[in-house]
Amino acid sequence: MFQLDSLTSKIVLYSTLVLMVLFAFFPIYWMAITSFKSSGEVIQSPPTFYPHNFTLEHYITAITDQNLLTYLKNSLIVAGLTSLLSVIISSYAAYSFSKYRYSGRKSLMGLVLSAQLFPKAVLLITLYLMMQRLGLIDTYPALILSFTTFTLPLTTWMLKSYFDEIPKEVLESAYIDGASRLQMLHQIALPLTMPGLIATALFAFIRGWNDFIFALTLTSSDAMRTLPPGLTLSYLGQFESSWAGMMAASLITSIPVIVLFILLQRYLIKGLMAGAVD
Amino acid sequence: MFKNVSKLIRGEGLSDAQFGVLLVLPALSILATIILYPLLNSVILGFFDASLLSGREGWVGIQQFVELLQSPRFHETLINTVIFVGGATLLSFVLGFALALVLNQNLRGRGFLRGSFILPWITPGVVASFLWMWIFHQHYGVVNSVLSQLGIIDGPIAWLSSSGWAMVSVIIAKSWKSFPWFMVLLLAGLQTIPDQEIEAARIDGAGKIQIFRYIIIPHIRFIIFVVTLLGAIWNFQHFQIIWIMTEGGPAHTTTTLAIEVYQTAFQAWDLGKAGAIGLIWMVILTIFILVYLRLSGGVEDVSA
Repeated sequence: MFQLDSLTSKIVLYSTLVLMVLFAFFPIYWMAITSFKSSGEVIQSPPTFYPHNFTLEHYITAITDQNLLTYLKNSLIVAGLTSLLSVIISSYAAYSFSKYRYSGRKSLMGLVLSAQLFPKAVLLITLYLMMQRLGLIDTYPALILSFTTFTLPLTTWMLKSYFDEIPKEVLESAYIDGASRLQMLHQIALPLTMPGLIATALFAFIRGWNDFIFALTLTSSDAMRTLPPGLTLSYLGQFESSWAGMMAASLITSIPVIVLFILLQRYLIKGLMAGAVD
Repeated sequence: MFKNVSKLIRGEGLSDAQFGVLLVLPALSILATIILYPLLNSVILGFFDASLLSGREGWVGIQQFVELLQSPRFHETLINTVIFVGGATLLSFVLGFALALVLNQNLRGRGFLRGSFILPWITPGVVASFLWMWIFHQHYGVVNSVLSQLGIIDGPIAWLSSSGWAMVSVIIAKSWKSFPWFMVLLLAGLQTIPDQEIEAARIDGAGKIQIFRYIIIPHIRFIIFVVTLLGAIWNFQHFQIIWIMTEGGPAHTTTTLAIEVYQTAFQAWDLGKAGAIGLIWMVILTIFILVYLRLSGGVEDVSA
């Protein structure tokens, strides 16, 4: 875009890049090295910029901590089922938005898109009352249903953009071959969008994995907590936190989403536009 | 009877339009149950005296709204919200845009850099909060240590527990997490600008700043607008980083609308008042959403 001709523009360019690299990655580097320092070295002043006494003790403490393992299991179950449920339900809606025309369709699409912009804290007032009345507080169904409020709009919108890519002719030739409308969806459209379906499911999983406010409010026991509220309550509840332990647990929590993300790189823009944010 | 039901599910005997509606029904009924109804019910609670323990009691009309709009504490919350939304949106936009301009150059390893810079954005919010709390720690934090070694500060700053600095800290943490989102979308926008146009302008003698001002900005004006507005809407309802880092404190200085609703509903158990705040919030948000839908040219083109 700009020619890298003058020295000045090179200096501006590379110093911006260096500053941004520092800002983006230093915190992650700091988290990683803190987790490998001994408890004494962590509170040394001035701090050391690499671990002088390298130790894995905080990781051993973390993975043998029964609570942390429970949170991890809950996060996997809840994020996994939320993702599955929303992809199944939204694939029908997305297919309909993409391939059928009826009055009110655009308003419905607008409604679905806007739904994820509504404040969670406000929804939560009534969701809490509903779950309480149904006796679902502190259960998986409460978490899965409430997580669906933010995954369903995301998955519907993302899947619609994948169905949009299927040419009409493909479906038409199936129709001529005598397929019913539901068969066209199940046997042709869905298999064709399989990579998109998987990407969409993984984006929904990541958002479920990261949710905080619903899981914090709708659970009341350690046995049902997911990682974000679980970590917050166990590490910030104590008088003086174990920072190294906190950083080790943080790293463990981040790894699944980072791995998923590396796999998802090429679907990124679609996910971002559909609202896979926050 | 059952034969008819299965026929209906398969969509036989329905027109295409009817079949389309049938496919949307499951998603729609779920959205209605877990989003539309809760939203309406929550804001309607604003007209009632309601608590988590005793449920909905008496109709109090607009009393709670009047109280809120007259309360200095609520004014502070609104101002905090504006500072947080404005600060975090502006900072992440500036960082994301600067980086997008850099990565739009022919640098070696550009693809790798673009991918790596996503990392802060995918870091779970709880982790982002923890690591910035640690970095800003008053006694053992690296920021205070570096600043005092450079002689910029005399004593440690209590980043998270002094008014003013606490807001700065949460804005920095939130911007760290969201600048990659701005970067990716703005970079996608920058890549749609045809090289020939810039080349032609250069041949005509346009300088870098002129190219930026008259070619780049007009080309991506729309994406800048959408990204900023959506970013602001997300920040508007952001809860997690603030709650974990400061719980809205010290002395209410980082309490935004999201924190206020949560505290009112789930710590003070005053659902009526929380609903009233929710309604005021929804009014402000609706203006944002209408502008967004209006300017994104109908919803059809948004995902393209």
